[in-house]
Amino acid sequence: MDSSEDAAQRPLTLDIAGVGNEEPEAHAPLEAAAISSQPNTTDVLFPEESIDLDADAFISPQDDSAASGSMMDKLNDQMMESVMISDSPNSEEDDVPIDSLLEQGEDKESLDSKEPEEEKEEEEVKEEKTEAVTEQGTPDASVEPVESSTSLVEKEEAEEKEKDLTKDMVTDTQAAAGTPTPDSPKGQEVKVEVAKATAKEEPIPVCTIFSQGMQPKTLVPDGFQPTLVKSPSFSSGTNETPSKLAPLVCQPSPSLSKFFTDNGTVNPASDFFDSFTTSSSFISVSNPNAESPKAVTPAERQLSSGSSAVPSAEHQDGGTPSAFFSIGPQDSTPKPMAGPAEPAATMTTLQAVFSGSDDPFASALSLSEVDKRYDAWLPSEETRRVLISVATQQVNPVYVERDRLSMPGLKFDNLQGDAVKDLMLRFLGDQAAMKRQVLTANSVEQNFLGLNQLISTKNWRAAVDLTGRLLTAHGQGYGKSGQPTSHTTDSLQLWFVRLALLVKLNLFQNADLEFEPFGNLDQPDLYYEYYPTVYPGRRGSMVPFSMRVLHAELPQYLSKPQESLDRLHSMRSICQKILANLEEGLAEDGSMMTLTQENRQASIQLWRSRLCRVMYSMANCLLMMKDYILAVETYHSIIQYEPQQRVQLLSGIGRIFLQIGDIRTAEKYFQEVEKTCEEKGTGPAQDTSVLMNKAFVYLSQNNYAEAHTCFSGILKIDPKNPVANNNAAVCLLYLGRLKESLGQLESLVQQDPALYLHESVLFNLTTMYELESSRSTQKKQALLEAVACREGDSFNTQCLKLV
Amino acid sequence: MDVNQAKQEHLLALKVMRLTKPTLFTNMPVTCEDRDLPGDLFGRLMREDPSTIKGAETLMLGEMLTLPQNFGNIFLGETFSSYISVHNDSNQVVKDILVKADLQTSSQRLNLSASNSAVAELKPECCIDDVIHHEVKEIGTHILVCAVSYTTQSGDKLYFRKFFKFQVLKPLDVKTKFYNAESDLSSVTDEVFLEAQIQNITTSPMFMEKVSLEPSLMYNVTELNTVASGKESESTFGKMSYLQPMDTRQYLYCLKPKPEFAEKAGVIKGVTVIGKLDIVWKTNLGERGRLQTSQLQRMAPGYGDVRLSLELIPDTVNLEEPFDITCKITNCSERTMDLLLEMCNTRSVHWCGVSGRQLGKLSPSASLSIPLKLLSSVQGLQSISGLRLTDTFLKRTYEYDDIAQVCVVCPYLSPES
Repeated sequence: MDSSEDAAQRPLTLDIAGVGNEEPEAHAPLEAAAISSQPNTTDVLFPEESIDLDADAFISPQDDSAASGSMMDKLNDQMMESVMISDSPNSEEDDVPIDSLLEQGEDKESLDSKEPEEEKEEEEVKEEKTEAVTEQGTPDASVEPVESSTSLVEKEEAEEKEKDLTKDMVTDTQAAAGTPTPDSPKGQEVKVEVAKATAKEEPIPVCTIFSQGMQPKTLVPDGFQPTLVKSPSFSSGTNETPSKLAPLVCQPSPSLSKFFTDNGTVNPASDFFDSFTTSSSFISVSNPNAESPKAVTPAERQLSSGSSAVPSAEHQDGGTPSAFFSIGPQDSTPKPMAGPAEPAATMTTLQAVFSGSDDPFASALSLSEVDKRYDAWLPSEETRRVLISVATQQVNPVYVERDRLSMPGLKFDNLQGDAVKDLMLRFLGDQAAMKRQVLTANSVEQNFLGLNQLISTKNWRAAVDLTGRLLTAHGQGYGKSGQPTSHTTDSLQLWFVRLALLVKLNLFQNADLEFEPFGNLDQPDLYYEYYPTVYPGRRGSMVPFSMRVLHAELPQYLSKPQESLDRLHSMRSICQKILANLEEGLAEDGSMMTLTQENRQASIQLWRSRLCRVMYSMANCLLMMKDYILAVETYHSIIQYEPQQRVQLLSGIGRIFLQIGDIRTAEKYFQEVEKTCEEKGTGPAQDTSVLMNKAFVYLSQNNYAEAHTCFSGILKIDPKNPVANNNAAVCLLYLGRLKESLGQLESLVQQDPALYLHESVLFNLTTMYELESSRSTQKKQALLEAVACREGDSFNTQCLKLV
Repeated sequence: MDVNQAKQEHLLALKVMRLTKPTLFTNMPVTCEDRDLPGDLFGRLMREDPSTIKGAETLMLGEMLTLPQNFGNIFLGETFSSYISVHNDSNQVVKDILVKADLQTSSQRLNLSASNSAVAELKPECCIDDVIHHEVKEIGTHILVCAVSYTTQSGDKLYFRKFFKFQVLKPLDVKTKFYNAESDLSSVTDEVFLEAQIQNITTSPMFMEKVSLEPSLMYNVTELNTVASGKESESTFGKMSYLQPMDTRQYLYCLKPKPEFAEKAGVIKGVTVIGKLDIVWKTNLGERGRLQTSQLQRMAPGYGDVRLSLELIPDTVNLEEPFDITCKITNCSERTMDLLLEMCNTRSVHWCGVSGRQLGKLSPSASLSIPLKLLSSVQGLQSISGLRLTDTFLKRTYEYDDIAQVCVVCPYLSPES
């Protein structure tokens, strides 16, 4: 019995034929529209039709790969011999008579411009394996089993392949009939299996469909580029950055290095820089946000921060070095952190801590409580030993091995570019470009104030420059990597801002380069304990938590998501450990310190939110890795920490399922969203989420009309909702209403540029311009002008698709 | 048409864009805490960014739809959708515009235009829009041929065409394997198990919405891809029913011949058509694809001229105690047989009764049941062997060994228990 089984166990490779016409029900609406008989009048209008690519005469190089039943009779018609097979991309046109070819000269050119890629692909296709499994047998066949004969054909020459195929092929009566009768056991069955050599064949899309053929050869791109939008969307890798990077990683510009070395004394800024290096005795708590402004009494200032001791000093040219690194008195900051109106939650807790404390020492103590809470971190065992020995003065920090220290330095010193201006120069001329006014590192105060000004005006490149200058002044400038240096709270904050901006600018490679000396952010010199004289009594990490998150997230943008996950996991376990310590009644770092109830609660709250942030990063990373199962699980587990984000998270999970294509599961999550919204009671926000989800489900069901209705419904509740506006316009395009769609997006951009000069909207708009008319370049240039008026130097000009 | 005319600028411009599903914009959260140097700045920037999820800005997957960025891949069984826009770039009214979109495959040419009637006139800066759909049913090169003809104000009839070439790739690799069930005991024999291995050879995850076997007329099919747990049945593939690129998944089906076929033939012989697999999948935002395999064929195991199967056999028997089995003998040949049954003892199996008895004539496809008695002298799992059938017409002997197995146990209780 076993033997009889073996005989029947033969693996069989199948061919896949496109679903025949016997399933019209699924596509009834589409097909009904698409397949309509062609009236004879067209032939009159198209005189060339008779000489067109003839169905019978035209054979593409891939002909032999045909697998559908209807192909079989074609293959058996011996028409193949009569056809010239060529892999040249123009072979198709070869079949078109010369005169029509000439007539098409222009168009063909436009196609050809994209051919090289295609040609390569065709070469590969040529090598594809063709496996023809021919089986012959009838129910009445003799007792001996007819073994399936498998012929593996791998040939360079298509002709040979065809010959081989026809030899192996027997007429497939079913297929020839056109409408396969599924259950007829009679007749011979031919199976042709075309296994593409997938291993080496990259499935590069053939992009010829986006032809700009009618356009004269201008600067307009002749097709969509695969990486136009900067978002690390799931389909595109982040590999485009390296090419962009090359010019950015540059030597220090002579002017700048001169600026810093030669006449430092003349420049007012250099006074400011001095503050980094001169006095090491004052405790620099000058980061305005690190301070608890309300509670800062003069006495306490003297105690904790010399920087604020001269509140009236003008920083640009003031003479007190210690004043420069700070923003100065709190009331001079653009958005004072003080003020009773400060909305931030942490601030209110700070105020709670300080309320009623007149004693400067007490408030200093509470400040250190807050510091401790925020700075807490668990160093590795090795680092901890070094820190203990430094603290107990067994070891002078000077003697700690150099390779155990972080010695950061700038790896490139100025980015100073403004892509918007470059484009303006190119397309709109010098005069227009002159009008472009953006803040640069030179045009703002050389301190944190100026830095914040640059960031908030979206001049991130300039902001990166400024951080470079400030760090250079601190002795961590270009080429200083690998040289011993000392860190301060501020220098690490500067590093954080710089690296965060690099990431925001998609300059991941640069960020990675500059992160490198920091290692895993666990060197002893990155802890306050390492500087007992500068920060007496202060403990914990100098590296801000946000910088750790950034550091952990970075590798995922450089195609190393696994590394990101590793880092995030270790961060998560530290967060969990700290939370566990707090819950056990210990201090954050596990020491036996007594915390007041408020402090403990505030700390637990802080660390829970930090844990949550790490979980978000993990989920985002998993999503980028397309590990949807774990991503969904992780997002789901965030709900318990952030119950107020339940609606957003569940909707997000639903969208993940839609992305996979699992509409049913998505709907389940959306139903849960609806339930949550009902519990919360109706409000515009709830209605918006519900409608938005509905719209996405319709979209996934190819029902663009209903999706559009839903998006429009959101606009009735919230007319300014940019997402609904944009999405409604996208739906219109899929409904064949290009002009309306364009009109809608255009008016949005004009009316409310703050909301709609977003790269996703602009990308959609420029795509529609390209589809609409040959004059898309002019329209894009108009967009460029709009962008130039409003956006800073960090604007991603790729979405304008001008180059 | 005149060659020179080709050089002339056309008044109309034809633009084509493939409409794959839009994608959701993903943003890149960069956050900081209030005490950090930028304070609330990063948070504010993210809240102001229209593409973030309000209230959960660190959630990467946004809601903003973006149009397709490139042509992408198109796979067999998917629907090719395309936007065709004819725009009047000139400043004159153009008349009698006819836009025709044909899809040329290696085997046929299909008209995809929704309408084949000419548009009477097109004013400057206006356009004719058409969205075409076509379910691709062939692998290989496809060419979208768009032809536009129109009449200028001066009465010239003009015409131009554009070709857009794309490759249709194979999305799935399907392999099948048949297993014949041991059908010794049941009277409904010839159960067949089909294992189908489906591999996603695209580059994106694929949600398998439906993988079903449409059986041929002769068979009934049971899908064995769910596990009943409680009232809900759970997929054997776990929570997520999607396939990552290059992942393979095994589907299992059990096929039983319908009674009328099973009984009529007694056994199903030779090559039979089992049915075909129907596969429906979805990808990004519900992009749908559907394929069917060709008819799957199966070679039924050969039973020879005479098939001997067991209708009744105990699974456990006592040592040295006779037990009964019932054999079913079916004539699978085309002629009548006259059969003689011999029983040969083996080392462990001892047949009771007379060996060499006549079973009489058996016509084609007929069967008869014979009860037999035997005992085993050895403990353990024992194989039943030693039956010989001889067709006295042709003097041909058929041997049946290892027909089935029984577990032989010692009936006597051991002293300690």
